[in-house]
Parts: sequence; C-alpha cells; structure tokens
Amino acid sequence: MALEPTCLALMALRLDQHANVQVLLNDKRPDGSWGAFGDDDEASGLTGLALLALNTTGAFPGAATRAVRWLLDTKGREANWLWKWKFRTTDTHVRFDPDKFGWPWEPGTCSWVVPTSFALLALKQSFPCCREGKVAYRIQRSVEMLQDRACPKGGWNAGNVIVYGSPMTPHFDATAIALLALRSEPRNRLVDQSLVWLERQAYSCPSPWSLSWSILALNAYDKPVAQLQHHLETLAEPDETYDTATLAVTALALDCTTSGNPFEVVV
Amino acid sequence: MTRRAALAGTLGIAAGTATSLPFLVPRYDHDRRPSRSHVAILPATQYSEKLSRVLWDGLRLFNLDVAGKSVVLKPNLVDYIPEAEINTHPLLITAAAECFRRLGAKIVSVGEGPGHQRDTQLVVQGTGLEQYLKEQRIPFVDLNRDEVVKVCLRADYSRLGYLSLPRTVLAADFTVSMPKVKTHHWSGVTLSLKNMFGVVPGVKYGWPKNLLHWRGIQQTIVDLVATVPIHFVIADAIVCMEGNGPLAGTARRLDRIVLSDDPVAADATCVRLMGLLPEQVPHIAETGKFLGNLSSDRIEQLSAPLTTPPAPFETVPDFEHLRAKAGLASADLR
Repeated sequence: MALEPTCLALMALRLDQHANVQVLLNDKRPDGSWGAFGDDDEASGLTGLALLALNTTGAFPGAATRAVRWLLDTKGREANWLWKWKFRTTDTHVRFDPDKFGWPWEPGTCSWVVPTSFALLALKQSFPCCREGKVAYRIQRSVEMLQDRACPKGGWNAGNVIVYGSPMTPHFDATAIALLALRSEPRNRLVDQSLVWLERQAYSCPSPWSLSWSILALNAYDKPVAQLQHHLETLAEPDETYDTATLAVTALALDCTTSGNPFEVVV
Repeated sequence: MTRRAALAGTLGIAAGTATSLPFLVPRYDHDRRPSRSHVAILPATQYSEKLSRVLWDGLRLFNLDVAGKSVVLKPNLVDYIPEAEINTHPLLITAAAECFRRLGAKIVSVGEGPGHQRDTQLVVQGTGLEQYLKEQRIPFVDLNRDEVVKVCLRADYSRLGYLSLPRTVLAADFTVSMPKVKTHHWSGVTLSLKNMFGVVPGVKYGWPKNLLHWRGIQQTIVDLVATVPIHFVIADAIVCMEGNGPLAGTARRLDRIVLSDDPVAADATCVRLMGLLPEQVPHIAETGKFLGNLSSDRIEQLSAPLTTPPAPFETVPDFEHLRAKAGLASADLR
C-alpha cells in the first residue's frame, strides 16, 4: 500500500459504503503515524493526510487520537535550537524564519508546505473548536510557517521562498493545498494574492493533478469552478492511464460541488 | 562582537565543518574504476531533428552493446518554468531513444522524478516532451511514484545505510544519465552524477528530497551513484546554465553534446568544459577515487579536441573556488 494514493482514493470513495478503510488502519505504525508504504520503516509526513482520510471516511477515535499525538510530537528540524542557530548564522542562503515551523516529509528534516498543510488541515478538522495547549500552539506555528514560506508575489513552492537572492515560482498543488489549510484563517493580502494567481493560472493548466487541486482550493473559497471542472473533464481522457492519486484527486475535484469538499474545514 | 554572537558563529562553523568531514575517510566497498574511459565532445549548435544524426554518429564511436536490453533514459527534468533553460531538451531525449532502438535495445523508456515539482506530468507536458514521447511511443515512468525496493547502499558517506529506490531503474539493464549541464548552488555543478537524485522517489522522501540534503548532498550523491550504475552519459551542453543554478541561473551556450561510458569521466569533462576544476567538486573528486576516472590521463577523447578554451562559468559565491585560472581546465580537454 502506498499512503498518498490510498488516502486520496478513500476520500474520493467516502460515500461508497464498500470503501475499505481497514486497508489504511492495518498499516498504521505503533507510534500513531503511517509510513509512505505499508512496510516502510520510517514515518511519513503524509500522516496528516491519513488523519484527514480517517476523519472523512468515518469515526476511528483510537487511530485518530494516536495520529494526533504523533503529529503534535513531530516537527520540522528547524524547530530545534541548534539548527535555529545554524540557519541564523552560517546557513543563510535560503530566506526563512526558523521560529516558524510545521511538519517535515520525514522526521529529522525541515518543514515543507505540503506535509504542513495536510497536518494543519487534519488538526483543524480534529479540533473544530476548543483548541488549547499544544494543539493551539502547533496550529498557530504552522499557520505562521505557511505565511513565512509563501512566494513573494503569492502562491507556494515546495517551501523555499528566496534562494541565493532568487525568488521561487509557485506550484499549483502546493499553492492549492496551502490555501485549503489557511481557509479558516482571517483573510489577508497573501491569501488574496495567492487566490488571484491560482485562479488566473488554472484556466490554462494542462495537467489533471494540478488542475484538480486548484479546483478544490477555489471551491473552498467560494470561487466559481464549473468552467474549470469542464476543462478538467476534457483533460482527463478516459483512455489515458493515470496513477491512482491523480485519478482520485480528479474525482474529488469533479465531485466537490455536488458531494462536498472534504478538504474544507468547518469551524 | 557579543559572546552570544561568537557562540552562534562557532556552532555554525562546527555544523558546516561536520558536513565536509566524511570525505576524509574512504567509505566505498572497492575500486571499480575502468583502466580507461572514453569521452566524445560533439559539436551541436541547435535543438533540431538533426540531433539524431549527430548523436548516432557519436554513439557509434563507442562499442555499446545494448541489443536485447532494457534501456532507461534518465533526463534532468527539474521543473516547468516557461522559457527557462533548466531541463534536458526533449529533442535530445527522443533522439537518444531513437538511437538506442536502432542499436537493438529491447525496450527504451524515459524515467524521472522531479525534486520540487510534485506534478511530473505538468513538467513532461510543459517542456513539450510528452508530445514527442506519444509520437514515438516511448513509455515514461514517474520515478517519484514508481514501485520501490529497499536497497543497501554500496558506499557509506551519508550514513544512510539504505535507500528505497524505483524498481524501473533497478531492473534496467542499461541506464543512461542525461543531464543538462548547469551550475548548482548546493553541489557546485549538476551533471550526470547529481542527476541521479531524480531516481530517489519523492513519494517516500518528499518534495524536495530533503533527507538527502540533511545527510550531505555531496555524500548522498556518492552513495547513490555507487549503488545505481550509470552505464552511459549523454549530456546536454548545447544551452547550459551558469550562476544561480539549477533553476535561477543564466543561459550559457557551449554548443556541445558530451558522451561517455564513465559518468565520472563525463562529469570531469563537462566541468572542464565549463572552465571549472573537477577536482574541487567533492562528489566528483570522491567518485574519482573508486567509481570512474577523473584524471585526464585515463580519459580518451574520441572526438576532435577543443581549440578555444571556454571562459569559466559564473558560480554562486560559495563555489567561486571551482573557477579555473584561464586555460587550466581546458588544457585537460586537448
């Protein structure tokens, strides 16, 4: 089992009573996380996405509680005081504030936009109200991290902003997933700029994966997406073979206006 | 300077020094260098259909035995940024596929796993490669999402011990690294050796493959190429990149394609073409001790020698020491 396609497929099949969530539960690691593959030795930064899939498909309090605990205990390596010093003194070619951290792709590495956004969404969904203590602290820090790691003119790359003085360019999926994670936050200039960028680019997006994430984000911000959904239908040709993750996120995007958007946070 | 600032500086220097120490001690299994390596530097001034002919003539200088074998072409497709010269050109990739088919390969496929961009299809479409692949019915494998196999590393500079790697690459009979010749702000240069970062699957290691950075980029390149064999190199040195590569540098023409049966010799030659010193690039220097030939004495030039020495490529400040004094690097190309 590969984690990302499994989670996205379960979310796409959330209304199908035959969808087998047990596949995901079986591969849970003892520490509450999931590996990138069923037999993986290390925890994956997509554990937040796994928690989102559980939240979407039903009530699994035991697994969800352990996943939350793992998320609260795991953070990007820049959160450690030694590496903070390093990034402030000698390793300064990438512009970022190490006080603002989220979640890494793998434990022992830096925070990046996609795992942080999924973890943030999962925590917000798991705690729709009464966020206190560590939960409130991690949500606040990761919101700040996403705001810190945005591209100068809006949108998100993988998590680098300016490298050796050169600004990075935004990516569709990272921008869309970060916007989804920030949906319940007060609107600000960064979010507005990112939405403008995403909306403008989405109409000419040639790829189902990127377009699907764009639709999900724009839909969450109440932007009209019917035309984009039609564009996606024309892109996703029936005779093309797509990987499961792309197929699942395409289904979620085509379906979000009728069956709901599972990446929306209800506060 | 305050005591706090002094302590901060000391800790930072210690952390920086720690990452360069591993190369003081050899950590490879055994010396696998061939007695002689072969390189051909072919003139090519434009990306056009004519590349197939240039490449075919070049490949015939080597006694390649790929008949009945599965060949994987590993280009450098780092991201899709319109107008930016950051990726191996699609015409060179399809020319290579055509040539290996003519040489009798059983199957030729193209595989890549971009480091930052999660949407590989967007890169393949945006660069125009997808259209050529469809026309010529060349399969493409997204190495970021391929099935993986856990593999023990055959060198231990990164202390990783093992990596999960894509089955497509591990199962290939013949792997061709096809870099775009560029400077790189973290590794000095990105050529056939660094290009193999693209086989490390993002689905396991993330976007970017940040673990490799934390374990030392130079060290993990060495461990990776010691483990995943590169059988041949076709380097796109027609339009290259200098300065803040691999994404934000400036286009620089060399008007060449570089071929080699040894990735270390290929990279050493490309670095010399760039007017830089290969001995100063840690991953090239270290692989030159056990994997391939760095010394020009053991590299046979199969093509006509260069007559005009190149002006050194611009680098970011941390790699200015790579820049050779006038003529020093190119002297080894003659």
